[in-house]
Amino acid sequence: MTAAADIIRVPGSRTAWSLAAALVGLCFLLACAAPLGVNGYGLYLLTLTEIFALVALGLNFLTGYAGQISLCHASFFGVGAYATAILTQKAGVPYLLSLFAGAAFTTAIGAIVAVPSLRLKNIYLAIATLGFGVVLQKIIFEWRSLTGGGGGMALTAPHIAGYELSATGLYYLTLVLMTLGLFGAWNVSRGRTGRALLVIKDSEIAAGSLGIHAARYKVIAFAISAFYAAIAGGLFAYLVRYINPESFSVGLSISFLSMVVIGGLGTIGGSILGAAFYVIVPELLRGIKDAPGLVFGLLLVLVMVFMPQGLWGMLRRLGRRSRR
Amino acid sequence: MIANLVVGGLAAGCLYAMVGIAIVIVLNITDIANFAQGEMAMLATFFAYWLMDGVGLPWWQAASIAVAFGLLQGIVIQQVVIRPLIGGPVLSAIIATLGLNVVLNSLAGMIWGHQTYTFPSPFAFSPPFLVGGVPIAVDSVVNIAVGLVIIIAMTLFLRFTWTGLGLRAASQNQTVARLMGVSITRTSAIAWGLGGLVGAVAGILVAPSLFLDTNLMSALLIKAFAGGVLGGLNSLIGVFIGCLALGVAENLAGAYISPSFADAITFLIIIAVLTIRPQGVFGRVRVRKA
Repeated sequence: MTAAADIIRVPGSRTAWSLAAALVGLCFLLACAAPLGVNGYGLYLLTLTEIFALVALGLNFLTGYAGQISLCHASFFGVGAYATAILTQKAGVPYLLSLFAGAAFTTAIGAIVAVPSLRLKNIYLAIATLGFGVVLQKIIFEWRSLTGGGGGMALTAPHIAGYELSATGLYYLTLVLMTLGLFGAWNVSRGRTGRALLVIKDSEIAAGSLGIHAARYKVIAFAISAFYAAIAGGLFAYLVRYINPESFSVGLSISFLSMVVIGGLGTIGGSILGAAFYVIVPELLRGIKDAPGLVFGLLLVLVMVFMPQGLWGMLRRLGRRSRR
Repeated sequence: MIANLVVGGLAAGCLYAMVGIAIVIVLNITDIANFAQGEMAMLATFFAYWLMDGVGLPWWQAASIAVAFGLLQGIVIQQVVIRPLIGGPVLSAIIATLGLNVVLNSLAGMIWGHQTYTFPSPFAFSPPFLVGGVPIAVDSVVNIAVGLVIIIAMTLFLRFTWTGLGLRAASQNQTVARLMGVSITRTSAIAWGLGGLVGAVAGILVAPSLFLDTNLMSALLIKAFAGGVLGGLNSLIGVFIGCLALGVAENLAGAYISPSFADAITFLIIIAVLTIRPQGVFGRVRVRKA
């Protein structure tokens, strides 16, 4: 509801608009300069944040806009990772091409998963998608000749146009793709699809009587979010250089969902904040001697209790208050 | 052969069912899928273990105190964590229970460590029943019996007491229930208390069949949700039967189709059932004009 109102209101005030643009530009410059200021591990964490942000952006279409819960995004992420890795390592396809080919493949799977899920809601949908996640993970695990099974797959550094992609190179590639993803998400969410999804979330009956084909838009939302997850997966595979079916479990799906909610449902900035929360906070807590899990869990609870609209909702409220 | 498999499946299924009932009580009344239910039950079970092992109470006393602890735990958690979230997005509350899940798990890990304990059962040394030559463990029979007793008691409570009627009213329409003088925060607290209580019973009954450690419930929780969805979440008996069916299906799929794909096949069955009946086998459709 608030999201819809905000979308309509955005073009209204010019100063807020240019302020936001300046902030986005500043963030982008900071992100470009970041590799200069951090060590190898820091760079890894930053890349991981961007990768998770991509997944969260995609999942946000489904959960934040269309109100559909998915617990199989770790599998989309995994299928994307495996498809990219197999195409690059075994078939010798160039990295960028296999990244998008893998994503196209995963998008098709996402659309297929969406079809039986159309009639399901809430927990029923969560369990059905969880089931698909288990099935996909199992297929990856058992198809040993192709995926290496439980032993996993070790990957060599990818090449783009003959040059080996270093960690910094991968960071910039991820940054570019995430920026494109952001731009795409921004456009789709403000366009016909985004508005249709928002109506579907509030009431499918109302959407139907407005001539919105709810089933079609739900399939589109599933497909888009699978595409984002798969691109992220293809990047992740070459970030860690070793993939294993165990990495793409239900637990990761639940983490993706938490990122979206922690950041703020239905907000694009929230997806990035949520991903950053999930990557950075456990790192900061690593120094605490007793049970970093305890503190992380407590933080999760506290964020939800004090900011039910997520981190982004909180920021926006603070911003609005300071402007008055 | 098949009878043995079915009985084994039922034994596993009734473990899922115990957890499933606890989840569904909270879910039906508050709309919140409580992902911390498993860890709440685990904590109560560890408490019972400590009462027996550390304090030296006999089984029955320890179990009763732990069940009371479960009730209290549910109410406290509802008051501290869930109450501020009433009226907010349901997903926020669900993620909060997820955080709670992590908190309780590490808390138990800090107190009792991550080693495994064997939880005693008063029925451990009773000989199994023989039904037509198939041995059935006493534990399973007790679990199924206790599950049925809980379902009957809950149904009676929800149908024939004022508090129970209030709970049902709140679960159907919070605004109207409030206009009728039902306190939403109170019904939510009662639901969480009951969930905690049943969870503690489930933990104490489940622990002897598994090993007691901090991950006691993590496998059961997802299966309980899946079985509940299969049966239909708004019918207690549906959840019970769904969980039992899930256990049996798992065992049969593992033996006759492929042991490594047992989980995947079970989930495919659930998805197939849901495409035909999106509200679960025994679930009723709630018509909402929205």
